[in-house]
Amino acid sequence: MELQAVLMAAGGGSRMMDLTYNTPKPLLPVGNRPLIWYPLNLLERVGFEEVIVITTKEVQKALSTDQRLKTDVKMRLDVVCIQEETDMGTADALRHIQQKIKTDILVVSCDLITDVALHEVVDLFRAHNATLSMLMSKVHEFTDTVPGQKGKKKAGEQRDFVGVDVTGKRLLFMANEADLEEGLVFRKSIMRKHPRMLIKTGLLDAHLYCLKRSVVDFLVHNKSVTSIRGELVPYLVRKQFSKMFGVHNKCTSKEEALLQLARERSCWNDHRGDMSEAYHGGKLRCYVHIMEEGMCYRVNTLAAYIEANRVVPKLFEDPPIHPTAVVTERSLVGSDSIIGPYCQISDKTSIKRSNVGTSSTIKEKVKITNSIIMNGVTIEEGCNIQGSVICNNAVIGRGADMKYCLVGSGQCIEPEGENAVVQCSSGYTTHTKTHTLHFCSSVVFVLNPAFCVCVCVHSLAHVCLFFV
Amino acid sequence: MAGKAGKPSRPRKADKDEEEQPLQAVLVADSFNRRFFPITKDQPRALLPLANVSMIDYTLEFLTSTGVQETFVFCCWMASKIKEHLQKSKWCRPTSPNVVHVITSDLYRSLGDVLRDVDAKTLVRSDFLLVYGDVVSNIDISQALQEHKQRRSMDKNVSVMTMIFKESPPGHKTRCEDDDIIIAMDGKSKRILHYQRAQALKRLHFPMNIFHSGSDEFEIRFDLLDCHISICSPQVAELFTDNFDYQTKNDFVRGLLVNEEILGNQIHMHVTKDGYGARVSNLLMYDTVSSDTIRRWVYPITPEANFADLEGQSCTHSRHNVYRETGVSLGHGSQMEENVLIGRNTMIGANCTISNTVIGANCVIGDNVTLDRAYIWNRVHIADDVKVKQSVICDNVEVKHGVVLNEQCVLAYNVVVGPDITLPEGTVLSMHHPDEEDDEDDDEFLSDDNDVGYRKDKTKLKVFNPAEVGSEGKGYRWKTSSLEDTEEDELAECIWGEIPPEVSSNICCFDVVLLGVEQSLYVSSQLLKKWAPVFKNYVKRPQDQLDCLASMEEVFLERETHWAALVKVLMSMYQLEILEEEGIMHWFNQGSTTDKSQQLRRNQGLLKFIQWLQEAEESSEEDE
Repeated sequence: MELQAVLMAAGGGSRMMDLTYNTPKPLLPVGNRPLIWYPLNLLERVGFEEVIVITTKEVQKALSTDQRLKTDVKMRLDVVCIQEETDMGTADALRHIQQKIKTDILVVSCDLITDVALHEVVDLFRAHNATLSMLMSKVHEFTDTVPGQKGKKKAGEQRDFVGVDVTGKRLLFMANEADLEEGLVFRKSIMRKHPRMLIKTGLLDAHLYCLKRSVVDFLVHNKSVTSIRGELVPYLVRKQFSKMFGVHNKCTSKEEALLQLARERSCWNDHRGDMSEAYHGGKLRCYVHIMEEGMCYRVNTLAAYIEANRVVPKLFEDPPIHPTAVVTERSLVGSDSIIGPYCQISDKTSIKRSNVGTSSTIKEKVKITNSIIMNGVTIEEGCNIQGSVICNNAVIGRGADMKYCLVGSGQCIEPEGENAVVQCSSGYTTHTKTHTLHFCSSVVFVLNPAFCVCVCVHSLAHVCLFFV
Repeated sequence: MAGKAGKPSRPRKADKDEEEQPLQAVLVADSFNRRFFPITKDQPRALLPLANVSMIDYTLEFLTSTGVQETFVFCCWMASKIKEHLQKSKWCRPTSPNVVHVITSDLYRSLGDVLRDVDAKTLVRSDFLLVYGDVVSNIDISQALQEHKQRRSMDKNVSVMTMIFKESPPGHKTRCEDDDIIIAMDGKSKRILHYQRAQALKRLHFPMNIFHSGSDEFEIRFDLLDCHISICSPQVAELFTDNFDYQTKNDFVRGLLVNEEILGNQIHMHVTKDGYGARVSNLLMYDTVSSDTIRRWVYPITPEANFADLEGQSCTHSRHNVYRETGVSLGHGSQMEENVLIGRNTMIGANCTISNTVIGANCVIGDNVTLDRAYIWNRVHIADDVKVKQSVICDNVEVKHGVVLNEQCVLAYNVVVGPDITLPEGTVLSMHHPDEEDDEDDDEFLSDDNDVGYRKDKTKLKVFNPAEVGSEGKGYRWKTSSLEDTEEDELAECIWGEIPPEVSSNICCFDVVLLGVEQSLYVSSQLLKKWAPVFKNYVKRPQDQLDCLASMEEVFLERETHWAALVKVLMSMYQLEILEEEGIMHWFNQGSTTDKSQQLRRNQGLLKFIQWLQEAEESSEEDE
């Protein structure tokens, strides 16, 4: 076995709390599959037979019950549970499972949806005997309006600066703009070794890493490192040019010595210009594969979640309407939509560019466009839903008109009446003083038990804020 | 109605004018520095022969072949010589496609003065090329020119200059040590965002504001050689007029980049991969460019092409890049191994070995002579059994029997050396005494910038020292050091002026401090603090640091009782940022030659200090 796969699926999804406050991130449905299916499928496609999954109790339970996962995933899953409360970082998690790690590892995050040729990353790792190789892709611009967000996202977000050498493979530098107030500083010796450095911004780190076994040992010795992306990777990138690191990494095994000899005898070199030995004698090397084309999403924000749901169904070959779903002939389901198993779709309903999850019921004369309906949702007659996300087990009352809304799971939107009541799962209620529940452009439920905010924008002038 | 009809036609006419403008060039035939001293005391740099042709001819050939139709040659130092040379050359014949105007003035002190004069005289009408008289190049500028024009038509007057660079990464032979530039550029638009000379820097710093240009791809390049060829718009001359403090091109580029937001001017770059372009800015570059020319990197400008169309200069090219002009005679058993160019009517004796060498016209070379990387100009006499390695021998020099020239020697005009003397590495001999202050000297340089380093020689009598030049020799020895050191940088020059006059040399100033060490430790650290600015001025390059440490070691070796003080001196020098850890580590790790200095290095305190330094370095690396 060359590589052991480790799947990190214990993240809370803190950047999309609206969706994840009672559905764990790995189980969020994307194209009617739980999110975790995608990295598992990625690994299975390239021939992994076993994967270590680090996750929480809740997800573990779902993994053993979810039919789709059971039938689709043939790999042996070695599930390791960690407590949710302990706030473990990804590096902590690796330290936690160090006993199981026997070889070099491939670490994948559970929110990665990509069609990358994984061998590209692994080949870099093999070819250069690298300590780290990782995957990046061009950042996607999300064009769709996101529920609960008014206008476009501000451009002032902090960019990541990634420095690669002229081949675009060797990772030389990595920093966030926030840490660079003083400006970019390189030691001249680095520039001497890599006289042409490309600095790229606008790259998305896919959180997929090949790591040497020795890095896990390093983590065991350095307990202060808690996160792979936040601390370990920047550390490794920096250490490439430190003179001292080579000493720890003395080649001990016979294989290493042979490799060393082979490199000395060969005329191959990784750089041009000067005549020094390959890699300038450095023992620690980091590489990155930057996807120029193809799909790569990290489902860690609402925008990415919606975008992924739009794009992913096109990749499947299975029929858009699940055989077990009941769809009446007088309804209209666009070919760009998918309908999950056990759904019921009634007459005179039209569904376009939307995903409808398992066991959802959609009554008559409902119009759904550009929306994501999760599992077990009931939508009563005459609703008009556009660009919205309806979470698990929500009930949408009769005649609701929603545009770019996010309805939290278990929500119940009362039918057209004198007082429409939006119920939060935590038991807090908000009374809106409108006669008809007219959600336009933006409605936000910040579903935090401490306070519940409902913002309604009706017509153009009134913006109401209710705090409970 | 007539007015209306007239309006649209006018800009069209202007466009046409722009297209039809003949390409102009400004050639600065003066270097405004003394890198080639003492050679340039007798001949301006532009006229020095490179592969037996004056450098300015290479520049003019490059300009003509790239389509320049009008060239303004600006001369200052020995302007009459340059003018005379040009009048005799093919450039001033009526058939020349490139009209050459010579403009001379004694008042030019810098590139800035020249360009201000260009502006004052309104010589240029459109985009022009700006080159120095010592640029050797075969780059085809047309693509860069087109890009430049395109940029200017897209954004009127935003891009003012396109600089031409050649790829030559660190370690490349043609990389010029003085032009150790680092550039940050926009990956797509090729706009220069940051331009810095890096030779004295350990860390390279890029301010964040350069990354706010809206692009998502930047390139930091340390693999470029400035060809000193730039395409300028007429605005460049105007900008020099507006900013009278701009002296050099470096000032201009830095000033423009820093004030980009205010002035709204941009500088772009063009990188050539195949072309050759380099400026002969010092003797090392002279060596490199000469050998590149002979190795045909500057094709089609090759020695046998006789592009300057000089009479009798035609030569044959044979295997291993051996070129021979007419009338060359070669003695029995002599070998021309490779990359050799021999001028007309030169006679070479028997059993000589010649490689990588240029020999001028009418030279006489004796028997059993070994020449490697030697640049021998015209009418030189070399007697038997002479060995020359990587040296420049100017016109009319006589090298007598049994002389050995080690690397990087320079024998300026009319010098006589020998017999039977070995010149150490980096010897510079000239008929001009180092201290002589000619009036002509002041013509070119600000009169008060005399090199302080030379002053120590003042006590020397004005007679030829047989120990330096041999018993029959004629010439004075100039400051002995490597080629690079003989010629100080423009940058350094201005700093020399600030040094307190009583401190006349490195050695002297260490003696002051170390005398203090003898007195008491306390005084010394105070003295050190007091003199810190002085030290900082002297100790800039890594080599200076080593020299400094070596002289300190010398003093301490003589005074064994004070060894304990060494650490304290080192420590305070380190804290005052006079010495850097790298320098100290290098000195420490350097193989010590004598037992005593080894003993010194085993000193407990010193070991501890070194260990502390190592740790400090490690942690600073981690901080990054």
